[in-house]
Amino acid sequence: MPVMANGRAEQEISPAPSYQRRSHRARRALRRQLLPFLLLLPALVLVGGVLGYPIGQLVATSFQQLGLFELIGHHVVWNGLANYRTVFASSQFLDSLEQTALFVLATVGLTMLLGTGVALLMARLGKILRTVVSVALLLAWAMPSSAASIVWSWMFETEYGVVNYAAVSLGLHGFSNHDWFATALSAYTVVTAMIVWQAVPFVALSLYAALTLVPQDLFEAAAIDGAGPATIFRLVTFPLVRPIFVLLTVLSVIWDGNVFNQVWYLTAGRAQVINVVPLGVWQYIEAFSSQQYGLGAAVAVVTVALLLVVTGYYIRIMVRTGEARA
Amino acid sequence: MIATMAGSHSARRRRLTWLWRAVALVLVAIMLFPVYWMVNSSFEPQGQILSLTPSFFPVHFTFHNFVDATERPYFLTDLRNSLIVVVSTVCLVLVVAFMAATAVTRFRLRGAKLFLVLVLVVQMVPTTALVIPLFLILDKARLLNSFQGLILTYVTLTLPFTIWALRGFVRAVPMELEEAALVDGCSRLGAFRRILLPLVLPGLITTGVFSFITAWNDFLYANVIMQQQDRWTLSVWMFGFQTNTGTDYGGLMAASTIFALPVVIFFLLVQRRIVSGLTAGAVKG
Repeated sequence: MPVMANGRAEQEISPAPSYQRRSHRARRALRRQLLPFLLLLPALVLVGGVLGYPIGQLVATSFQQLGLFELIGHHVVWNGLANYRTVFASSQFLDSLEQTALFVLATVGLTMLLGTGVALLMARLGKILRTVVSVALLLAWAMPSSAASIVWSWMFETEYGVVNYAAVSLGLHGFSNHDWFATALSAYTVVTAMIVWQAVPFVALSLYAALTLVPQDLFEAAAIDGAGPATIFRLVTFPLVRPIFVLLTVLSVIWDGNVFNQVWYLTAGRAQVINVVPLGVWQYIEAFSSQQYGLGAAVAVVTVALLLVVTGYYIRIMVRTGEARA
Repeated sequence: MIATMAGSHSARRRRLTWLWRAVALVLVAIMLFPVYWMVNSSFEPQGQILSLTPSFFPVHFTFHNFVDATERPYFLTDLRNSLIVVVSTVCLVLVVAFMAATAVTRFRLRGAKLFLVLVLVVQMVPTTALVIPLFLILDKARLLNSFQGLILTYVTLTLPFTIWALRGFVRAVPMELEEAALVDGCSRLGAFRRILLPLVLPGLITTGVFSFITAWNDFLYANVIMQQQDRWTLSVWMFGFQTNTGTDYGGLMAASTIFALPVVIFFLLVQRRIVSGLTAGAVKG
């Protein structure tokens, strides 16, 4: 083999420099290997250190019978798969699952559709109007979700609500004293509208930031080639922002799949009408209202597993598209 | 930006431009209405808020709700606590996430994929389910009632998203720019700091705003970790408002307005940096 022969020849003539060169190269290679690890280390320590134990604890709890009695007395009572059996046998489970699926489909679908539209719109506006739009988006996003829930439930209030007032003023007299929270469907429509209103700013601003990173000459080249706006979007813009688009979709599925705050605040005290709740709320009710922490933990673990199944395919795509080119 | 390349039919383009402007104004109105309604009612006396014909301007304008809110005990202390915790969180999370995003995009690192997947799985766990175990571990580490404990919690909770988002931004920057710097004698770390960092600034700002808002708005963890009133954050202060005064909409809306203000100021501060950091023209594909 020529390489071997070459190496041997070199060694025979001057062994010392070659050895030195190799050790220098090895040290550099080691440092190159060490650098990415050192860069990753703080994140690893934080996620592993701060969240590793609580998550392990949560999984362990899901295999225990843990109520208030066991918690106070520090008893550990393992009960195997009993919590999971209770969850899957519960009539609540399938209803809750179906409800969560529909809810996620509606909120995430609307959020991504509107968010993309707003980001594209921002790219088409002048500087002043664009700033006005981004400040408006931020104001909506900045509103504390608790305060937002209070304002929204009050806007949709039966007697004094501004929405019913506006509807009646526009001639829709059927909305006089209309109770938006009388049926589950109507209540969840309001909740969906509010969540989409809160989520669109983040998606729109992120996608807009990604759009500004797309090289402008790509658009110019496509336009010179005679591509219309729809074609440019489909073939140039979207493929370039797809990674962040997929990420935002996956995150929205995760966040809305675990929805708790908005449903909890908006539908408070309506348990008779809204007896089917999303998994995130059900988990909270089992753990804190019924004080069956083991059962609540099992619901949480099942939720994570379901979210993994739903998003797994896209997570794989996301991880693959990011392979290092170095 | 994109509109300028839409075509050569200038009349049609001008009409389209006006259409986009009209759509933008409708959008602004929809996004702002709930915010406007919050501010509007914060300036109205209690009796006026509960009336059958809602007034779209505070006719009986009053500062009463704001005075009431800010005169509540610990307001300034809680505001200061919030600022300390949130600003530290944002700085820390951006540094850690930028380093991690660079590590997983610019190197062939064994286990990087696993790390990214695990970090996302962590994000899937309902936050309500983690409160109790997190409380127990912080108690063991003697970090309850400390800024460090809350900062650590927020950094960890916003880290997964920040790493994933920054990874996208880092990947969008062509490696050739850093390679050119390496040829010019820059070290690998120097290239990341001098070339990559300024180019992902828009991404850093967006993710920074995200972690700012997440940490600022959190009530769940702040309420559990900070038990002494002089360590409360502003979100806990706001909830105290709600329970103590019942359905005092005016007071609650005034508190919410005060609460949202720092986020708005923060955004207005970084807004200019977004423009100056905009390097879209410098990145050629």
